[in-house]
Amino acid sequence: MGDKIVIDARGSSCPGPIVELAKAYRNSKVGDTLELWATDAGVRADVQAWAQKTKNQIDSITEQEGKIVVVIKILNR
Amino acid sequence: MQFNNAIGEWMAGKLSIIMYSGTADKFIPLGVLAQAAAATNMQVRVFVTGFALLGFTKQHNELPFPEEFKSFAPMLMEGMKRTNTKPWFDMLSEAKTLGDVKVYVCSLMASVMNIKKEDMDPIVDDIVGAASFLSDAEGGQTLFI
Repeated sequence: MGDKIVIDARGSSCPGPIVELAKAYRNSKVGDTLELWATDAGVRADVQAWAQKTKNQIDSITEQEGKIVVVIKILNR
Repeated sequence: MQFNNAIGEWMAGKLSIIMYSGTADKFIPLGVLAQAAAATNMQVRVFVTGFALLGFTKQHNELPFPEEFKSFAPMLMEGMKRTNTKPWFDMLSEAKTLGDVKVYVCSLMASVMNIKKEDMDPIVDDIVGAASFLSDAEGGQTLFI
């Protein structure tokens, strides 16, 4: 069971959230879970493209308390 | 398309940008696209030519805003501040730390404008010709800004 890392990119606009995600990804290892918080609507599509490009997995994209929460499983690093 | 870059790193794609325009507004997509591509593990190559060279000199000359959109400038400035949009130079610099991003200046334009490598900001990696840039862009996406 890997670590869970929360990335707070609320208030950041495209490509901010993805850049923050990429930075956290560089410090992650296979088995970790990254949780990205964002307020930019474009993030839903962007994270899916990111996961496809980096060969990682999106576990869920939900909206909680006015923020978009994306849970990503690191399968490839 | 996936491939291994020059140093054997696996890349999810390739983005080549021919940066030609010299107005401040056109540099924003340069920064945004370079960051988005670098963040999604794509190789990025920027070929700076035309008036865009003026944005890459050591003096950091302020780039003009297009005359025809002058009335939109205040709205744009406010919107960029509100959305925490960083200046293009910071976005491109960040993209370089994030992934395989290189900035090349066009040798012809550098000669025409009498600008040498020493006169350019350190963000510029090298001076190259059109043929080598086009050859490297093969197979990926190429944009003209």
